[in-house]
Amino acid sequence: MNPMLHVNEISSGYGKITILRDINFQVKENEVVAIIGSNGAGKTTLLKTISNLIPATTGKILFQGKDIVKFPPHMITQLGIAHIPEGGKLFANMTVYENLLMGTYNHRKNFQKSVLEEIYQIFPVLKKREKQLAKTLSGGEKQMLSIGRGLASQPKFIMLDEPSQGIAPKLVDDIYNKLSILKEKGLTILLIEQNINYALHLAERAYVLENGKIVMDGSSEELLNSEHIKKHYLGL
Amino acid sequence: METIIQSVFSGILMGCIYALIALGLSLIFGVMNVVNFAHGNFVMLSMYFTFWAGSLYKIDAIFSPIITFPLLFLFGILVYHGLIKQTLQEHYTIQIAVTVGLMTFLGAITQLVWQARPRALAYSIVQGTIRFGSYTIALSRLISAIISLIIIMIISYFLAKTWPGMAIRATSDDSNAASLMGINFQRTYALAFALGSGLTAIAGGLLMTFQQVDPTMGLRFGLLSFCILALAGLGSITGLVISGLIVGISESLAMTFWDPRARTLVIYLIFILVLWFKPRGIFGRK
Repeated sequence: MNPMLHVNEISSGYGKITILRDINFQVKENEVVAIIGSNGAGKTTLLKTISNLIPATTGKILFQGKDIVKFPPHMITQLGIAHIPEGGKLFANMTVYENLLMGTYNHRKNFQKSVLEEIYQIFPVLKKREKQLAKTLSGGEKQMLSIGRGLASQPKFIMLDEPSQGIAPKLVDDIYNKLSILKEKGLTILLIEQNINYALHLAERAYVLENGKIVMDGSSEELLNSEHIKKHYLGL
Repeated sequence: METIIQSVFSGILMGCIYALIALGLSLIFGVMNVVNFAHGNFVMLSMYFTFWAGSLYKIDAIFSPIITFPLLFLFGILVYHGLIKQTLQEHYTIQIAVTVGLMTFLGAITQLVWQARPRALAYSIVQGTIRFGSYTIALSRLISAIISLIIIMIISYFLAKTWPGMAIRATSDDSNAASLMGINFQRTYALAFALGSGLTAIAGGLLMTFQQVDPTMGLRFGLLSFCILALAGLGSITGLVISGLIVGISESLAMTFWDPRARTLVIYLIFILVLWFKPRGIFGRK
């Protein structure tokens, strides 16, 4: 079976500075795959390259067999890819409800309220905050809204950029519980994370990104047991 | 006392039109962070178009926006795609250079086509005055103010409730996040620019029902709208209207009690004081 997402020999960067070099990886349907690495390894750049917020300099990105490397960002989401960006990137001066509504933008011609109801079921706190401006939410709530907004586009595939970042440790559990609900619903997920313990307990497989290159990959179990990961990432 | 009330009242009426003009500037600045220095000249151009429509085709100034709105809307799209789009990634000084260049260019064109002398329309169907006790108000000014407020409310509704309006707000908050929602932000930018430009057509038509136009006006309307925008800050249309009224009333009081030639000076003063003490505006968000 063809993978849902196939990143093939991708390089990219800002201006003349190359950040990612010859990246290859795949995500199959219904799979949860993590890309782990420390700060500055190029994780965020990788997701931005897939969404074409940063253009790739070489390589191909196949989504369901179609090369999307030249697609503008707004068309990539129309294919069913939801990119949940680092730090939420909410519409700060719009209400929680309006943020979710913007998530449904691709389906605005036949907008269905049931989509939002479903999101409120997963994140009841959003229903409670419905009329508040997004900028007034707490860190954890912002992250939930960002995930909810991504889900509102009814995606086939979601890419999460560091959902644990900037959130109180107690709430990270909360967020990851929500993510495992999404996993059980059969969503295909690409997770970018430096919180390796959390990432590898959610994902089935993972790739390790260091200095813009993928240096390792394997099942989550293999990686958790590998000496390299233990030494460099888990401090054991 | 009566003179004060009369003066404040005429300031309020002008202030509503000023708020409409500033709303156009605010839309453009709010969404793409570009200060359109040519904005005042768009107003002036609209006034000259209204003059043409009136003198050549006998179209009443109050109805001229039916023609000039689409014209200026289209002009806005052309300016966006022709000039502004290419500068968005550049340093803001380049954007200033480009819009100041456009301002000078439009100023020169109007001098060439309509010459330096003032132009006015002889007749509008909204004529005469109404009396409230001992106060008199020109009907054309009253109707212009009311139409301005109605247009402002329509834009406010458009931004709050419609998909393209919400796309404009989302893009203004975070253009990258907006494109991740499927919004083509280039198109949203063009729409905001076109709408901002189109609003000057309505203002231009309203102004021509009671005043003349000459080639120095662009600068004055530009300055006025920067001042109102600085006073209001971004994000509050109510704040924008109140700021428009403040500027309108101050201008009117200065003309009545000081010197008619002091009107621009007063606006400069407000502008400087605001930038000094409240650089983010009085009503704006943080």
